[in-house]
Amino acid sequence: MKKKQLVSALCATVLSASLLFGCGSANSNPADASAADSAEAAAVTQEDKAEVEMEAAAASYDHEAIENAGDITITMMVSGTAAENDFETEILPELVHEKWPNLTLEVTKLPDDNYYTSLKTKLASGECPDIILTQPMYAGQNSCYALAEAGYLTPLNDMDFVAKMPDLSAVTYDGQLVSATNSVSILGTYYNKDIFEKAGITAVPASWDEFIEDCEKIKAAGYTPIVMGDKDQYVLQFGLYQIAANEIYPNNDKYDEQLRTGETSFTDAGTWDTVLEMYNQLYENGYIDASQSLGYGASQAITDFVDGKAAMTFDGSFNAAAILAEGEGGAFERGYFPIPAKDGNTHTATCLSAGYSIYSGSEYIDECKEVIDYWFDGESDVWNAYVDTGRFIVTYGNGSDNIPNADLFAPFISLLNENKGYHWCNQAWPAGTETTMEELFSEMIGGQGTTVEDITLGMQDKFEDLLED
Amino acid sequence: MKKSKNISLVFNNKMYLFLIPSMLFFLILWVYPVLQLFYYSFTNFNGINYNYDFVGLKNYVKIFENGTLVNSVGNTLIYTVIVVVFSNVLGLAVAMALNAKIFLKGFFRTCAYFPALFSAIVVGFIWSYVYMPGSGMIANLIEVFGGQGSAFNPLGNFHTALFAIAIVEIWKSFGTTMIIYLAGLQTVDESLLEAGRIDGCSEWQVMRFIKLPLISSTVTINVILNVIAGLKAFDYSFIMTNGGPGKSTKTLMFQIYEIAFTDQKMGRASAFSVVSFIVIIAITAIMLFVMNKREVEL
Amino acid sequence: MFGIKKEEREADTYLKLSGKVILLYLAIVLFCILVIAPLVIVFSSSLRHVANQSSPLLLFREFTVESYITAFKNMNYPMELLNSLITTGGSVLVVVVIATMAAYPIGRIKSKLARFLYVFFISGLVIPSQMVIVPVAQTFSRLRIPNTRFTPMLMFITCSLPFSVFLFTGFMKGIPVEIEEAAYIDGSSIFRRYSVIVFPLLKPAIISTVITQGLWIWNDYFYPMVFISKKAQYSLPVGMLQFLGDKENPAQWNVLFAACVLCALPLIIIFLLLQKQFVNGIAAGAVKG
Repeated sequence: MKKKQLVSALCATVLSASLLFGCGSANSNPADASAADSAEAAAVTQEDKAEVEMEAAAASYDHEAIENAGDITITMMVSGTAAENDFETEILPELVHEKWPNLTLEVTKLPDDNYYTSLKTKLASGECPDIILTQPMYAGQNSCYALAEAGYLTPLNDMDFVAKMPDLSAVTYDGQLVSATNSVSILGTYYNKDIFEKAGITAVPASWDEFIEDCEKIKAAGYTPIVMGDKDQYVLQFGLYQIAANEIYPNNDKYDEQLRTGETSFTDAGTWDTVLEMYNQLYENGYIDASQSLGYGASQAITDFVDGKAAMTFDGSFNAAAILAEGEGGAFERGYFPIPAKDGNTHTATCLSAGYSIYSGSEYIDECKEVIDYWFDGESDVWNAYVDTGRFIVTYGNGSDNIPNADLFAPFISLLNENKGYHWCNQAWPAGTETTMEELFSEMIGGQGTTVEDITLGMQDKFEDLLED
Repeated sequence: MKKSKNISLVFNNKMYLFLIPSMLFFLILWVYPVLQLFYYSFTNFNGINYNYDFVGLKNYVKIFENGTLVNSVGNTLIYTVIVVVFSNVLGLAVAMALNAKIFLKGFFRTCAYFPALFSAIVVGFIWSYVYMPGSGMIANLIEVFGGQGSAFNPLGNFHTALFAIAIVEIWKSFGTTMIIYLAGLQTVDESLLEAGRIDGCSEWQVMRFIKLPLISSTVTINVILNVIAGLKAFDYSFIMTNGGPGKSTKTLMFQIYEIAFTDQKMGRASAFSVVSFIVIIAITAIMLFVMNKREVEL
Repeated sequence: MFGIKKEEREADTYLKLSGKVILLYLAIVLFCILVIAPLVIVFSSSLRHVANQSSPLLLFREFTVESYITAFKNMNYPMELLNSLITTGGSVLVVVVIATMAAYPIGRIKSKLARFLYVFFISGLVIPSQMVIVPVAQTFSRLRIPNTRFTPMLMFITCSLPFSVFLFTGFMKGIPVEIEEAAYIDGSSIFRRYSVIVFPLLKPAIISTVITQGLWIWNDYFYPMVFISKKAQYSLPVGMLQFLGDKENPAQWNVLFAACVLCALPLIIIFLLLQKQFVNGIAAGAVKG
């Protein structure tokens, strides 16, 4: 539920309006998908998309591979912390085994950092599991682009679920679909409606100034406005990317692409300096207490929120289950809103979720495809169990029109339907850029004399350094 | 005598055959990978893509150019010094106390050694609880005694985080150090100490000028073992702080790990490894040299 | 060995209570409390009901094995325990055999080559495993060694060699050469001399190796984590990784702490049962080596 998922899923282009609510129609007829796409952008995307569809039409894989195989074991490795009755490690293998008694799915779940290390080592030793969790584009250390470039991922263009997804460009490398994903992930602000009421706040803030005013009211009412677990530095991204979606991309939706060509820079005035200053304001005004948050773990911050000790926390849709749990604070009502923009024209930081890739060296490529297609078919038991976890905002099939926690996600979905969504920034950056951002930002709020200029300069240096070679 | 051994019939060169199994392991799984690191340090290998190029000394130039090397070496040295000094001072003090004829000393020894039995990951869990602000052990204790528990946040503070994880290392490792000192002290001949006392030495003088010199080789081994452990520090930065806040607990090994796995610059990480390998060997060798010399002087 | 006997003999002649001695006791007791306080709290919490979230400082108010049962199931304890036993036992066994063999020529032959080999092995001590993990994985790939439960053992054996060889070589010097010279005259082969004379005489060093190397191998999570793909082959510390997300979540502490105790339990039992061998083993390694 951590970095992986955050560093995870992002889409390079604006999410298509059809993605969530429009998907019913888009799904029923795959051809509609391209129509919906046309609203959206980048010529590159169109080309990728066209290629995906062409190849999908050209050939299909063996849909009877498992049935014709003897007893086989497929291995799968994902990242995260296994929960009780965990979907990936318990339910999925069980249901798959029910469907194909001759198939054993062996799933390993490792904490993020350990997952990355294991993945690299296993790739280097040629012992990679058959199915691995990868992230869209360049995000993170299991980015599907980097792995695809090295030839580790099997093209998935011929899979059945492809027709159900309107836009898979963020997981398509060089015309090849390399990661199977079916949901989106949102970054937002969870809030405690009771505390908001007690502080005299009647509606969620519509602009940044209102947001600040609300924080002030909450503080005046004697509550902690925002709790964050900055000891796990990746959580800094939860707030920063929301602000970036408001303040950077609406002015230039090619900002990240232009970073790579040198047309833009992190040091450009009115871009990251604004974002970092805005986020820092929350610390300077004491809405987030840096002296506390820097020693707080991410799960501890969630616990505090659930216990009713703070009014808000920035987190992703993937942590919804943990955030909605009942704690010492009782069953207070919780809401979710995107950090509002300065000019009130708010966008949401939303993107494709992390997906599942098939290792190119796998002995069971077609078998893996069969498993994933069964899981992704929108109606199987596996699918239903997957949706029931409440961690995934699926875009088609059972549950797409009544996703668990639909009320919670409603403000975001309406923004997406207005085409007001941008990817999570690190998706377009080489992995490591965000680490530098987090480090330097921590130094700034930790009173180390680091300034906003130092951070943007550091990010730019790191970005250029990582792109070299 | 010595000469005859050089051309010994009993211990002839056929004995080298005994080295074969261990050499196979060591050369294939340790020496060869290390040589590979040297090789990669001249390339832009990213750890996953085998289409890499040679880049000459660029990786070495880079690590000296940006501040990462200085920061991580600094952190590692501070960490090592703290661990070495406190592990040894505490270990020796406790060993001396337990070497006296006191009641229940076996029990005390067990208590002091106990933490050494736990896996680093379990120790990381336990101390995450101990240090946790708000509901952790120390924070709770402070509150029991009427203080402000929420203000206690050692891992969240730039000035204390490194010390906090060094304390964890000391907690885990000092028991071993103590046991080694205890064994060293038990080899000391009591009559020598008695002679010193009769000659009018104070207890301090007995310790400083008789006991300490007699266990100097034990001091050397403890210091060296702690120095090596300190320079290789990785676990608690990895499990407890993830290098943070900021860069304040990034040790040499953590930094290498991050460059290799987060930044995906295996080539640069290899160069970093080669440099730190040399640094570690140099420090250990100098320490050994200095301490051996001191042993003789003492 | 000598130290222990001396200690026992003195058992009935404790220091007389004087001001200084009382101060000494106070200091020791206080220090021990400081050291084991976290462990006591961990143990006390592990004996509480899973859902009990009152402050862990309220010691031993509840006694139930509920948290242990939960942790036991979550970890699949019997399986992980067995894996840990196999991995540690197997690795230590191989290390003892091949390291004593390696130490034999290094300790006995007086030549520059032997001296070099000694330093060569010891230099392996300073290389951390995180540094070489990728090249090691590539080597496995080239040798077509698949990821099985034996793969991490190969690394455990390799990483234990430097210290073990160092230890055995040190001990070897203390074994008089005369016995072997006599055996040589009687016509014993080198192999026979090694197995019948030298190996048994190395017993203290062997105990020391088993304890010091067994301890770190048992506790290491890094190699099994990266070289094992099947959950059924997980050792205890790798199983503990699953709890990483719980470490700052007070709601999970009771189970987490029970898991911590379960993970260390086999070592605790061995330590308590074989305390003297344990303590002497650690000390002998360092002092004689």
